[in-house]
Amino acid sequence: MKKLLKNDVFQFLSLSVIITLFIYGLNGEKGAIVAKTVYNTFIEVLDIVVAVSIFIGLFQVWVKPSTIVKWLGKGSGLKGFILVCTFPILMGGSLFTVFPLMKTLREKGARQGAIASFITAWGGKAPLLPLETKFLGWPFALVRLGFVIIFAFIMGLLMDWIGERPTKPM
Amino acid sequence: MRAGTIYLLIALVLLGLSLLKEKQRTKEAIRATFKIFYVVMPVLIFVFVLMGLIQAYVSGETITSILGQKSGILGILYAETVGCIALFMPPAVFPFGGYLHDNGASYGSIAGFVFTAILIGITTLPVEIKFLGKRFTIARNIFTFVLAFLIALLMEVILR
Repeated sequence: MKKLLKNDVFQFLSLSVIITLFIYGLNGEKGAIVAKTVYNTFIEVLDIVVAVSIFIGLFQVWVKPSTIVKWLGKGSGLKGFILVCTFPILMGGSLFTVFPLMKTLREKGARQGAIASFITAWGGKAPLLPLETKFLGWPFALVRLGFVIIFAFIMGLLMDWIGERPTKPM
Repeated sequence: MRAGTIYLLIALVLLGLSLLKEKQRTKEAIRATFKIFYVVMPVLIFVFVLMGLIQAYVSGETITSILGQKSGILGILYAETVGCIALFMPPAVFPFGGYLHDNGASYGSIAGFVFTAILIGITTLPVEIKFLGKRFTIARNIFTFVLAFLIALLMEVILR
């Protein structure tokens, strides 16, 4: 039971149910609106979320983090820099999974600009394009992706510009 | 055909190709897929509840007045701040953003929200400091906030 209560999945689902029921208890009409929004959106995105999960699952297995690190090298030179600003767009995952990978890249001798570029480019989130285009449309998604590359590029320049100081990670 | 169906078909074709190439890895991929779905879906449902709450209690006019085109620069800054604090997983960012847009938020605000929600997290700060150091973390987060603001402004001009 204790384990169940600590489970994120259980927490999110039970919180969702509790909030909806609570609102329904306060005001039936509002509660119905909440429930309807949840149901409609769920039906709308179910197949997309399944597809996206498959995309990310396949990518994780076929392009292992160690492969990425090896492939990107130090992210130095123009070619390395361009790779670091574009390739991570294809990756899934959350910030929690990116930071440990960045530490490895750093230990291999990557500059902090390259690391910052990588994190920013990772924010491109191409695997989520099905979701993004569904809710915000292709023009938004494509313009945003284009800017992500520029964003990553400037980010790298700025982070290199401020220079590194050998402060040890805590 | 629904866009979702097409994506699903593409995903299944890729899965088939993967299976032809290597059975073991494909098994791993399927396991990973289930895990991702299992982790992501509950968060999405929770975000749908938040969307429902806004639908029920916040009028479109309110959203427009805070995040709409007329609120301009301030709207983008509000949206970015929400993005920094929100504990959203990346997959939940787009449905929520789209929802706000349908209810009057400008593309610029949504862009600001999307960028900071994905790239900045109050909860991830300690993790970033632990892995990459304090100086790096502070600089990256500040630069991200500022650059996201400038890009959001540009996107607002381009997409309006």
